[in-house]
Amino acid sequence: MMLSRAVLVAAILALILPLLYMFGTAFSPESSIFEHALMPIPPNPTLENFSVAATTMNYFNMLLVSIIYAGGVTLGQLLIAVLAAYAFGCRRFPGDAWLFAALLATIPIPFVVTYVPNYLLMAKTHLLNTYAGLILPQVASAYGIFLLRQHFRAFPRSILEAAGIDGASSWRILWRIVVPANLPVIFALGVYVFVNTWNQFIWPMIAMSDPSMHTLTVGVQDFVAGEGGNHWGALMAGATLATLPTLLVFFFARRQILNTLMEGAVKG
Amino acid sequence: MRASSLLFVAPALAFVALFLVLPLVRDVQISFFDWNLISPNRKFVGLSNYAAVLGDPNFLATLAQSALYVLLALAGNVALPLLLAILTLRTGRREADVYQTLIFLPTVIPVSVGALLFLWLYLPYGGPFSKVLALFHLASPNWFTDPHWALPAVSSVAIWKFFGFNYLILLAGLKAIPASYLEAAEIDGAAGWSRFQRIVLPLVMPTLLFTIVTTILQALDHAFVPIQMLSVGGPSGASSNLFYAIYQDAFQNFQAGRASALAVVYLAVFGAFAIWQFRMLERNTLYDA
Repeated sequence: MMLSRAVLVAAILALILPLLYMFGTAFSPESSIFEHALMPIPPNPTLENFSVAATTMNYFNMLLVSIIYAGGVTLGQLLIAVLAAYAFGCRRFPGDAWLFAALLATIPIPFVVTYVPNYLLMAKTHLLNTYAGLILPQVASAYGIFLLRQHFRAFPRSILEAAGIDGASSWRILWRIVVPANLPVIFALGVYVFVNTWNQFIWPMIAMSDPSMHTLTVGVQDFVAGEGGNHWGALMAGATLATLPTLLVFFFARRQILNTLMEGAVKG
Repeated sequence: MRASSLLFVAPALAFVALFLVLPLVRDVQISFFDWNLISPNRKFVGLSNYAAVLGDPNFLATLAQSALYVLLALAGNVALPLLLAILTLRTGRREADVYQTLIFLPTVIPVSVGALLFLWLYLPYGGPFSKVLALFHLASPNWFTDPHWALPAVSSVAIWKFFGFNYLILLAGLKAIPASYLEAAEIDGAAGWSRFQRIVLPLVMPTLLFTIVTTILQALDHAFVPIQMLSVGGPSGASSNLFYAIYQDAFQNFQAGRASALAVVYLAVFGAFAIWQFRMLERNTLYDA
């Protein structure tokens, strides 16, 4: 028991140490960063790095781009997933098993084989450097359909049938009965997609060459490569600012995210 | 009824077809051309992109490095999380809750930020690791530009970032084992390693296989941003992998045909593997139903 705990605590320290250094260095005066490199907590904290980072990184503009990107992809993925999961989970139609299997088979397709063609498609339709071009290709994902179907399928069929006999259309049954009953898992999926999209780097970098359309994750890289240079205090402040939104979302919805992922794992 | 069911599925099908399936067809198509991605002129070159890709002396090295990324990910993102998940189960519920949250924390950090944090940690002059090494009178290597260290150093960033997800999945798999099985084993005198080997391992196997397969499929993807931000694949390609080589061919060398040929080679190698994974997913689903 003591040994288990010691190993766990050591592993956790190793995992969160980089984050402690991020916060510590972000609050450390630029002049003394290297003196206290080993200490995650600076002796005389300052907020100066944050103002430097916020102004040189064009923080609020990037924050807005990130919010629109992650929000748009999340709404899109939730919408197509709710609709499809309802058809696959609560209804029967010819070819449903085959179609579902085909959708599942697309989950392991890696980004690297789709980005060149998608980039070309966006270029051809003049959607590069637009929100539509940034968001639309990322909406295509079957993971949400897979996760939601597991939950929709467990919904009592008798209630759906009773509603059908009462004359409710399938559209109403979905939005008035199935969706409200499954709000926690839909919410958790939404948070999960939001955080993952927020954290994406490659597609936003490829699809948005215009620096004023960069997301925060790309902005961090711009800052490292450009003005941030060796100003570690400002760099870490920038990193903290880019991370804060997802950290807040995670702490706010922690239980639901962790439980949904764990349930999804056991249910398959 | 039939028509309306299809209407519900149509948006998902449209998106997946347009942005996930059509690109695969386009990859095959583009791979037959010599093309710089931008110019309106492209030249049909038959199979010569494939010949160039497979005949490239760097191809085998890239392949071997890709395998190394996968192996390191299996050790760091499957074996280690499994150990921690087993240890977590032995602690109290409240306590386990705290462990789960903290272990999952790096998972919600943007990987570009994670790469920046490790750039600082690994800084050869004045960074925290170099100071620790200095305590032992050791000089810090230039982690990301050293041909021997670049790949493992880059890989460590990916392992750090993607550790929590598999840990959580494995913990869920272990938790699903009925306590009565473990108690019965205890009564029968099986404890420690033999209990793990004969009872825990077979029961957690579906979950473990799931994490192994997804880790194999995602290891190159997970290393991508750390490579891009920390080593740019260098020195002289020593920390590159198949994914990064495809990206460099397409978006840095502007050889779309070559990049697509490499993508098709990847799909051929890993496609069979992905289908196997999908079969397993399906079996797990049926298992539950």
